[in-house]
Amino acid sequence: MRAKFILGEIGVAVKANLSMVISVILVTFISLTFVGTAGLLQQQIGSMKNYWYDKAQVAIYLCTETSPQDICPQGEASDNVRKTIQSKLDSTTLQPYLDKYYFVDHAEAYKTFQKEFKDNSVAKYVTPAQLNETFWVNLKDANQAPIIVESFSGLSGIEEVKDQRSYLDQIFSVLNISSLAALAIAALMLLSAILLISTTIRLSAVMRRREIGIMRLVGASNFYIQLPFILEGVLAGVIGSLLAGGAIVLLVIFFVQGYLAEKLPFTSFVSMADAWTLLPALVLLGALLSGLAAFSAIRRYLRV
Amino acid sequence: MISLSQVSKQYKDAPRAALMDINLEVDKGEFVFLVGASGSGKSSLLRMILREDVPSSGTIHVLGENLIGIPNRRVPHFRRNLGVVFQDFRLLPNKTAAQNVAFSLEVIGKSSGFISEAVPDVLRLVGLEEKASSLPSQLSGGEQQRVALARAIVNKPAILLADEPTGNLDPNTSEGIMALLERINLAGTTILMATHDKSIVDRSRKRVIQLSEGKIVRDESSSGYGASR
Repeated sequence: MRAKFILGEIGVAVKANLSMVISVILVTFISLTFVGTAGLLQQQIGSMKNYWYDKAQVAIYLCTETSPQDICPQGEASDNVRKTIQSKLDSTTLQPYLDKYYFVDHAEAYKTFQKEFKDNSVAKYVTPAQLNETFWVNLKDANQAPIIVESFSGLSGIEEVKDQRSYLDQIFSVLNISSLAALAIAALMLLSAILLISTTIRLSAVMRRREIGIMRLVGASNFYIQLPFILEGVLAGVIGSLLAGGAIVLLVIFFVQGYLAEKLPFTSFVSMADAWTLLPALVLLGALLSGLAAFSAIRRYLRV
Repeated sequence: MISLSQVSKQYKDAPRAALMDINLEVDKGEFVFLVGASGSGKSSLLRMILREDVPSSGTIHVLGENLIGIPNRRVPHFRRNLGVVFQDFRLLPNKTAAQNVAFSLEVIGKSSGFISEAVPDVLRLVGLEEKASSLPSQLSGGEQQRVALARAIVNKPAILLADEPTGNLDPNTSEGIMALLERINLAGTTILMATHDKSIVDRSRKRVIQLSEGKIVRDESSSGYGASR
């Protein structure tokens, strides 16, 4: 098999079919950019989880005078409640899971509240007594939060035990849904890319039917006849996926690292390393899909 | 060399079978004319021998290959032992005579060294060494058919199938092509030629197989186009 001859054949095919080849490149480019974006979002969720879950605490809110009657029939939690909780946290059963814990009383809670809601009118109406006294618990492993939640939920004098991860989970589920949406769009566009490749191959098979007919007559192997067509498809797919990889890298450099990371300095964002690991996967996916599409099109339109 | 036994071909939606109970033996070195009206089954028969199509029933052996059982991937290799020419030449219009011949060698993976020797040789054999770099559009019909013949025989096939090779040519030019075919046959290539050309068949006095409505109605050696001797 002579590479020069095969390359020449691809050149002829691509030239004859240029607008179709360009559209294949563009569609694979855009669809794989969506795939890459979905991948980046997943990595972003992963790195945010690592970062925030480690910081997430479990809050044990004690009853106040204004707590709902059915949960806190005795009203404001007594000192006894506080001591019970403290001794439970210090006990040998829970101690191994805890990193540290601290207690925030009404006055301190009020101070924090006033600071956090400085510009909000609600700050004016809140009194210290309305704010829960709280045990803030840091865990060695945030995944063990349910142990704390279970140990304290339902104890008298406790209004609520809240795993802060549940707030984060909402954010993550929003991110998750958007990455799924990106994947769904990508899947649709990949489908159209596959159909386009198949149409392109069919067109070039029709345009070159004379050559193909002669190749068959003189006994060229199927492989030899089909290879230029498959390579034509793969070439377009690979160029499209390289463009998509470039777009992903640029997205990380200019949008994530250049813009987001500066606006939100305390958040960990996907890095260039993450983008680079996506790149070979995208190229592989592009080559594989276009090769398969070309191959199946050829099976249909180029018989022995 | 070529052996057909009880071969029938019924195409889908066709009112009658294209071929019916064909039994045929062709030996090495023979020159056989296939005659008969249009639609009598000549081209179908050639397609079967080339394994472009498989019969509905019966067996075909060509060059020791059982064409019914041959796996698809072996078909290309099988075809390398056959040369084919057609009425419409089937040359690539954007390639020169030499490139057309070379193309058929390139696509079966011959080395460029082999190609650069074989192509001028075969063009000389068909009398076109002067026209090697002419495009088909610059060649006469007879010359184009010579290029097609050169392409068909450049790989030294054991069998040459010719489907109305003189159908588009005037009598004088046809003579020249016939003379060339006879030389190729003398060099040992078995030739099976479908034709309507009465004068050529009558003059050649070779084996004639006549088909009518898919059946062999006559198979005579040293015969003519029409009835028996």
